[in-house]
Amino acid sequence: MRLDVDVAGQTRAFQIDRRPDGRFQITMDGELHEVDVRQTDVGLSLVFADGRSLEAAASPMAGGEWLVQLPHVDVAVVVDGQRHGRRGAGGPSATGAQRVTAPMPGRVVKVLVAVGDEVTHRQGVVVVEAMKMENELGSPKAGRVIEIAVLEGVSVEAGRLLMVIE
Amino acid sequence: MRACREMGLCTVAVYSDPDRTALHVRVADEAFCIGTGPASDSYLCIDRLIDVARRSGATYVHPGYGFLAENEDFAQACLDAGLTFIGPSPDAIRRMGSKTGARQVAIAAGVPVVPGTEEPFADTASDDEIAKTAAAIGYPLVVKAVSGGGGKGMRTVAGPGDLLAAVRTARSEAGSAFGDSAVYLERKILKPRHIEIQLMGDAFGTVIPFVERECSIQRRHQKVVEESPSLALDRATRVAMAECAAAVAKTVGYTNAGTIEFLLDEDGRFYFLEMNTRLQVEHPVTELVTGIDLVHWQLRVAMGEPLTIDPAQAVTPRGHAIECRIYAEDPDQGFMPSPGLVRALSVPGGPGVRDDRGVSAGFEIPLFYDSMISKLVVWGADRTEAITRLRRVLDEYRVAGVRTTLPFFRWLVGRPEFVAGAFDTTYLDGLLASRKGQSFVEPSAGDVNDAAVVAAVAAWFRAHQNAAGPAQPADASVWRRAARKDGLR
Repeated sequence: MRLDVDVAGQTRAFQIDRRPDGRFQITMDGELHEVDVRQTDVGLSLVFADGRSLEAAASPMAGGEWLVQLPHVDVAVVVDGQRHGRRGAGGPSATGAQRVTAPMPGRVVKVLVAVGDEVTHRQGVVVVEAMKMENELGSPKAGRVIEIAVLEGVSVEAGRLLMVIE
Repeated sequence: MRACREMGLCTVAVYSDPDRTALHVRVADEAFCIGTGPASDSYLCIDRLIDVARRSGATYVHPGYGFLAENEDFAQACLDAGLTFIGPSPDAIRRMGSKTGARQVAIAAGVPVVPGTEEPFADTASDDEIAKTAAAIGYPLVVKAVSGGGGKGMRTVAGPGDLLAAVRTARSEAGSAFGDSAVYLERKILKPRHIEIQLMGDAFGTVIPFVERECSIQRRHQKVVEESPSLALDRATRVAMAECAAAVAKTVGYTNAGTIEFLLDEDGRFYFLEMNTRLQVEHPVTELVTGIDLVHWQLRVAMGEPLTIDPAQAVTPRGHAIECRIYAEDPDQGFMPSPGLVRALSVPGGPGVRDDRGVSAGFEIPLFYDSMISKLVVWGADRTEAITRLRRVLDEYRVAGVRTTLPFFRWLVGRPEFVAGAFDTTYLDGLLASRKGQSFVEPSAGDVNDAAVVAAVAAWFRAHQNAAGPAQPADASVWRRAARKDGLR
């Protein structure tokens, strides 16, 4: 099975096959790894050929993203460019238009920018109220606001497009 | 509920629709739905709560530590319905519930309060009068609008030279913002620590104060880490603070569990801040260092038993305990709530570890309430051992499916200021502001590779299990099995 995986702004090409003994042959960017993978109550237990053991959880999230939870750190991963149907969209340096979407159901309290505004990476662009807390959503990249898809005061569902930054 | 079961009492839970599978419902002997998600249509409906008590034949009502726990009308409604409210009298809740009322009680009990004017200045107050009052209070001080809020109508004054200008601007700001230009003065406590004293009172006038809790690590006035004892108190200050707390409680005839909060200034002087007339979220740290079960005593006191706690045991810490409040929030997105399905939970164990949680695998964290997943508490023979243990259990704790504050805590417990115990209530907000949204834990190159491999394999499993035809993906049933296993524990 062939897969493309986007993580930390890079795309890696995978070839994954399960051998008859249940072990996996995983080729990442041309490099072959043999990994014994088992499903556990947490998610997946991996034992690599050199004996290294790793337990991690991978949960499909809204928007086609996977939340991979390693022992110390959470990492957002996109498999086969399925996030918002767009390839290579990840990280502050990504090119092309980036969508700001509602991470959860809530209400748009304030739109902090206007169409045409220049914004920096992580600059607050919209405030959404959910769980009685106001949350400021940051721009996914430095760029210019090309579309605002909501009005202040409207209720939004999770994943709803709020604005587009180019 | 654990305490009830240990004491041979049956338990009745109430829940809202989205909390149907919350742990408190699953472990209760009986459970009743009291409405929909918004608390105003469930947990805050006094008549529905009283009705459940009637229908189930319950005799005692434990209000928990949120929602109506500090509501005198609810306590009164329980009394009127012939139920025993596990907490103080409605009168004590009322008297300690108002900030100014509680301050009066503290003054009457001879307990120090933050120095300030008791009454706002009249509009006709002369400059001379204001300056004299300010000098008596001491600098630096804060000019505060009586109707103020959100920082409006508030000015910090470093010395006498700035006083009158600050009073003028505070008055005009408050007048235009709130339609009320009345202002008063209060000493500004620089870099205070938030230290609190747990206490327990019985119906016979006995009040037992406990060793203090240090709760200075706060984000936007919300406690994030609590520990006991505090590094900032010596034995004499601890005893003095405990005596003050008991004096306040005795003044209002306080019964059951409560907490008096103090501010401790840099010179080691402490001031009464307010009282919480309920059991608090952070009570486990006190239980771990004293070996006294506070909820047991809440029930026994409510049943009319006298307190037989040894006062020396209550105020003498044995070892050190630290609690972290683990929330379903994304620390890297400004601690934004991240509700959702908890797919799996792996909870650390071993000696000196206590995990009080209301969430289990398979539970959908609702949008409606505070998104706390767990209170993780560790105990060690001393603070160093407790921190070492805390690091280990934070690494071991896994909550799959939602983002949590675990990465933030892993970062925090490595900060030199935390390790040294050198912090005050301004510490965390200042530190967070200086980080400007930087991630708490950055994945290393190896982590990125691992994450790619894990996601690829997970996608492989999903593709192959769906193709094999079962209605449910096998990984979901693994999670469901885990949820069941967790439920049997």
